[in-house]
Amino acid sequence: MSDQPLFSPRNPWFGISVGVTAAIAVLSAIAGLIWLPLAQPNLKLAGVWDAICSAAGVPRAAVQEAGVKPDFKTSNVVMTSEMLTKVDQVSIGRGATLAQRCAICHGPQGVSDAHSPNLAGQFAAVTYKELNDFKTGARVSVVMGPFAAAMSDQDMKDVAAYYAYLPRVPSDNLDTGRAAPAVVVTGAPMRNIPPCGSCHGDIDNKAGSPWLGGQSAVYIKAQLEAFASGARRNDISQQMRNIARRMTPEEIDQVAHYYEAQP
Amino acid sequence: MATETDHSLGEAVAARIERRWATLSIVIVGLLVGMAAYIGIHQATMPQGRVETADPKTLHLSGEFIESNLGSEMEADGSVTVRAIGQQYSFTPQCVVVPAETPITFRATSADVVHGFLIEGTNVNTMLVPGYVTALPVRFKAPGDHVMPCQEFCGIGHQGMWGKVKVIDKAAFRDLAAAKRRLTCVD
Repeated sequence: MSDQPLFSPRNPWFGISVGVTAAIAVLSAIAGLIWLPLAQPNLKLAGVWDAICSAAGVPRAAVQEAGVKPDFKTSNVVMTSEMLTKVDQVSIGRGATLAQRCAICHGPQGVSDAHSPNLAGQFAAVTYKELNDFKTGARVSVVMGPFAAAMSDQDMKDVAAYYAYLPRVPSDNLDTGRAAPAVVVTGAPMRNIPPCGSCHGDIDNKAGSPWLGGQSAVYIKAQLEAFASGARRNDISQQMRNIARRMTPEEIDQVAHYYEAQP
Repeated sequence: MATETDHSLGEAVAARIERRWATLSIVIVGLLVGMAAYIGIHQATMPQGRVETADPKTLHLSGEFIESNLGSEMEADGSVTVRAIGQQYSFTPQCVVVPAETPITFRATSADVVHGFLIEGTNVNTMLVPGYVTALPVRFKAPGDHVMPCQEFCGIGHQGMWGKVKVIDKAAFRDLAAAKRRLTCVD
């Protein structure tokens, strides 16, 4: 008895244990990979092999086409956090020349009192995205549309790089002692509003969200109202409309004046 | 000779005990496999039948997750498909409208980081993983409102991220669906 090798086909204990274990594994595999998938009619499986691949988790691209196309232009910018973050001196130089035509509204140093956005120190990806959206018509402006229409993709990148290179200049309304409104710091979680600072730079920055410090309050307010009403729709997948829609007029006023007073 | 008898007797007892324990182990394994299958079939664990991929960077450019295609769609067979995305820091659509007592399939994905997808008062509780489509069948018994919070920490604005699911009467939904092809309850 004790001479008999444990792991041997002649040992009935070994044979039966291995056999039963293998049988459980095979039965479970048949149940899990074939029977249960095929029992789900909503999976619309093409056959046994399809069932096995699906249950085993072989990835496939979702190929459904949209049944409803937009009746307005949406932004076609592919936004990533690495976008236009590498400084390129040649691009900045070209951008400086191209930006001369922007100076009448945005100021020779990218700062102006005309209630048009201050672009000095703005993230390059943000300026590029807005120019691109003006060009495609995703963002509508009678002033910016014709300017952007004449720009090539490289022109837009260069102008964006130039403005990102310029130092931010605090506005005349700078007041760093001004208390931050609750909606900037904590948002309004009960109303589905995250803090402004979680995307716009005070706490964290989400790719494509502009730096708001020193922007004209008139401009910020107008944009929030346009997002809330749906007049402006170039925010990808409604990321800003979802928030502006929930804000009260008082909150819009507060954040507009708060950001104007920031550096 | 007495020791020989004791030995074979001991061997027989050991073999019997061994057989019983082995049988018990097999029964336990079989029971666990059966349990896994049962809760899978009866939608308690809701395993996803397929792994589908979608590029999070280009969801807004083409495919089923473009802005105009999001919301609830009435299918030809009377079921409803809801398409949604999660992004830092909101769900689009912000308010999902669905009919009661109707088979519903949620198809959702994330445009940036991992988000949670949970509908309060139901057993819907899964993740939206960038790169993958989350698809799960649901059936709401009665009209009512449910909150749909992101339950996976997704960044500093996470606490402000939630949506709403509004379950309405089947006939009322059918009337809405006749007028518009993608329904939401965003006001």
